[in-house]
Amino acid sequence: MSICTDSFVPAARAMAKVYGFPAYEFVTMPHPLASLDQEQIDFRARELIPDVLRILGVER
Amino acid sequence: MAAAIHDEPPLAEPPLVAADEIRAAMEYYASQQWTDGLPVVPVTESYLAEFLARTSRDPGDVVLAMPHLNRECSVRLAAINAAMAGCLPEYFPVVLAAWDALAGEGYVTRGIWQSTTGTAPLLVVNGPIRTQIGLNSAGNVFGSGFRANATIGRAIRLTAINVFGLHPHLLDQATQGTPAKYTCCIAENEEQSPWAPLHVEHGFKPADSTVTAMVIRSCVHIEARHTQIPEQLALDIAGTIGRTGAMVIETTSALIVLGPEHAAVFAAAGWSKDDLRQFVYDRAVSSRADLAAVGKDAISRRTRWRLPAGHPDALPVDQSVDPVPALNSPAAVQVMVAGASNAGVSAVIESMGARGNPPSIAKVRDIE
Repeated sequence: MSICTDSFVPAARAMAKVYGFPAYEFVTMPHPLASLDQEQIDFRARELIPDVLRILGVER
Repeated sequence: MAAAIHDEPPLAEPPLVAADEIRAAMEYYASQQWTDGLPVVPVTESYLAEFLARTSRDPGDVVLAMPHLNRECSVRLAAINAAMAGCLPEYFPVVLAAWDALAGEGYVTRGIWQSTTGTAPLLVVNGPIRTQIGLNSAGNVFGSGFRANATIGRAIRLTAINVFGLHPHLLDQATQGTPAKYTCCIAENEEQSPWAPLHVEHGFKPADSTVTAMVIRSCVHIEARHTQIPEQLALDIAGTIGRTGAMVIETTSALIVLGPEHAAVFAAAGWSKDDLRQFVYDRAVSSRADLAAVGKDAISRRTRWRLPAGHPDALPVDQSVDPVPALNSPAAVQVMVAGASNAGVSAVIESMGARGNPPSIAKVRDIE
């Protein structure tokens, strides 16, 4: 499971193409990430969970 | 006839290709994005053969592989891009040595050319090949005007783009990059250095020709024209190397490129390269308070990057270490001489590579 901020979507798509999986699905979130505090990171993580579970194929 | 009036000889060999056809070929290369943005030289098989004739290596030999991209550069591909960059065939052994040095350095094969930091390779050439192919080691050494410097450095960038696919905005994610990404190849001014040149310092013979490769981000200039006191000059250099803005991870590394005049100041006072290294190591420090003031007083538990003490990824700060050294050892600093002997000007190259390990130096092969 790959997670990146939206700034890296073009690079992520290019890498997926290099590896022969152009439709490879990854989770994205708003940029930036490195400067967030713990509370903001926890919030981001909770926001991402539905997308992560969907891509992993978890049935709820 | 104008030729008769001015007594000009007729063209011995009239051009075989119309200029607009050459332009069309150049535009085709540009349309394919086989470029750094500047025009490239169209390459034919016969012209490529002139480059390949300059090496004993097989055209299929791999000069550098990037396993994470599943791509590799062969001697043939390196030659095509050297020709496109404007190299002359006699430069090609230097280009191949550059690839050897880059492969030995190690960072390039781990994705550093794709990093947001935006690094570039610096190539330093030593030995007799400098004069044989006209590499500049004197005035304007980081600037323009010298075909060998300009095109050997450019050959690496074009290969990065055309062979490894490192196009900006795609696999090259540099936030800003550096002007050195167009080209960055210098020669050492061995003739005006008071010390052993870089390659001899690291075990090569003076008659060997070598290329040293480093991953760099910045070239910061040192202006100190009015001092003859080595400690004053060395403090300026140490302050530049220790600046907090350049700190990415726990410690940094640097190449000091002394102008001949500055090198002479140190030599006249009896300083060796090691004396300068030791002084810079001792003085390139920041207080804990200064690091805290810029939010770089802690180290990431995972990446060893510098970050604020309150960051979720920060390791506990060891308050007993104060001041904090910017370098892990004197050996994290390399010293060389380049430029004109016309002013007290030097440069600090902020490098991203090995901290304390010897620089990656490769011998230029297949030359007389």
